[in-house]
Amino acid sequence: MSATAFMELALDQAKFALDNLEVPVGCVIVEDGKVIASGSNRTNATRNATRHAEMEAIDILLQEWQSIGLDQTLVADKFAGCDLYVTCEPCIMCASALSILGIREVYFGCPNDKFGGCGSVMSLHESLSSDDLTGSQDTRSRGFKCTGGIMAEEAVALFRNFYEQGNPNAPKPHRPVRVDQQ
Amino acid sequence: MAWELIEVAGNPTPLPHSTVDVVAAKIESKVANTVIRQLNQVCPLENLRHVKRVRRRIECEKSELSIILCLSTRTESCKNGFPEDVQKVVEAYQLSPFIAKVASYPAMSKEEWEEQCKLWPTSYHPLHDTGGASGFKEEELPSIFDCMRSAIQLSEVGNTAIIVDPSSMQIISKATDQTHQNCGFLKRNSCVDVGADGARYLADTTEDNDGRLLLTSSHVSHRLKLEVSCINSWGWTKQRSSEKTLSSEGGFLWHPLRHAAMVAIENAAERDRKMFHTSNSPRTESNLNGDMENCSDNEPTKRPKIVTKDKEQAEHQDCGSDLSGMNRPYLCTGFDIYLVWEPCTMCAMALVHQRFKRVFYAFPNPITGALGSVYRLHGEKSLNHHYSVFRVKMPEPDLNVSSDYPEKG
Repeated sequence: MSATAFMELALDQAKFALDNLEVPVGCVIVEDGKVIASGSNRTNATRNATRHAEMEAIDILLQEWQSIGLDQTLVADKFAGCDLYVTCEPCIMCASALSILGIREVYFGCPNDKFGGCGSVMSLHESLSSDDLTGSQDTRSRGFKCTGGIMAEEAVALFRNFYEQGNPNAPKPHRPVRVDQQ
Repeated sequence: MAWELIEVAGNPTPLPHSTVDVVAAKIESKVANTVIRQLNQVCPLENLRHVKRVRRRIECEKSELSIILCLSTRTESCKNGFPEDVQKVVEAYQLSPFIAKVASYPAMSKEEWEEQCKLWPTSYHPLHDTGGASGFKEEELPSIFDCMRSAIQLSEVGNTAIIVDPSSMQIISKATDQTHQNCGFLKRNSCVDVGADGARYLADTTEDNDGRLLLTSSHVSHRLKLEVSCINSWGWTKQRSSEKTLSSEGGFLWHPLRHAAMVAIENAAERDRKMFHTSNSPRTESNLNGDMENCSDNEPTKRPKIVTKDKEQAEHQDCGSDLSGMNRPYLCTGFDIYLVWEPCTMCAMALVHQRFKRVFYAFPNPITGALGSVYRLHGEKSLNHHYSVFRVKMPEPDLNVSSDYPEKG
């Protein structure tokens, strides 16, 4: 399957989020050319603004792999063979998380100018080369390869839909929100 | 010696008097406006917004104007070292470029500004109000220190997070690191505190302990620093020898991302869902109704969904909760979080997402600290929310002697 084919599946997840009045971001995690987990943003339903699509998909895998008895080392090996396809550039939180897990590669749709962690605001996919306090390999950050701009228009279109329909959980704006009439 | 509260600035404190070289040239006053306009177009000084493009100096009783052409590339001579468009300006007006020094950062004080202007004029904007809603009041200090004391007492190993509503001094949630099998999951019940009464009061917690500050050597020693998830984020892959691999049943035995702050946010969200399960705050409803009017016609599928959701809400409302009159919080808006250790980038960004008002930490995290040590996330202008960050500093004796800590205030 090609990158766009996987991104189509991530976009399906984003549409699912949109249908549930969530910020439309979706993702799939791929291992050996097969989708092994998918996730969509659930920040409104959970009232937890950290429940981004990536976190949802990661939790599915962690739970599954632990349930079949994989230990930390084996789980780390698994993540090292996984790629993520996500409709929007991972935020600073998710990019850090992906680096902590040691994911192999990330493909994203549109950039995230406000809080993108893979080049837009910070570059957490680039590993730190400097030595840390301990100098041991374990505490050093891991980078991952990152490719953006895959089906970006489709991802942006979903955001536009969402902001037109309004975020039901956003705080009341000080000024009335202007909706562009098309 | 008393405890101290220090604000961690969002902007790095620049080295005083640090300068950068620019290429400048004297210009005739009658062409000044044209040249300024041309240069601003072809070579805007993006990172030197505080520096004035033109300097006026009185030399030999004559007013002389100089203009910055571009940044100096250092290695090359003045003649060849600048962009083609700038070169055109130089040729058109027969300028003789020279190297000048300008201040690299905006001045933080009037004195510094006056100093900078001796090199090349800069603009000076006194810092706008730093206190107010995001700062702290003097009378808050004892309770702020109490909260940090509670956090430190909970953190025998690893990090601890306590979320507090400062308006009522209610503890919203508490959590410790849960990245390892042995570090939090077994004690989970003591951490998740979202019982029927919803929240506990600070006074209870401090009474639970007999006033002992249990950090002692553990917070100072190197070995235990590695138990802090935010510091040793990548250490999870090393399985502990004491751990046996068991298969989990619908939960996590360990979780590389369950740093204390992440767990505390999850607990706060869980409390929110339990206490305000109907999501029936007037604000939400009016928003939903408003959105329906704004729904574009080319998306007919959206309409029924919103209607069903509204109906659901109406039914829930009938169930009648005592809290229906209360305004449900939007995430952690207005709340404070206390962390024993400075958070990593993941946790610091999570705190932005969850809209905290203030972040307090006791010990800096030199490896991945995102709020002052390695990064200054809270100074990142592009973010849609900004909290203020404070470090609670305690005197050394408190770190070594476990049995006593200073009196309140």
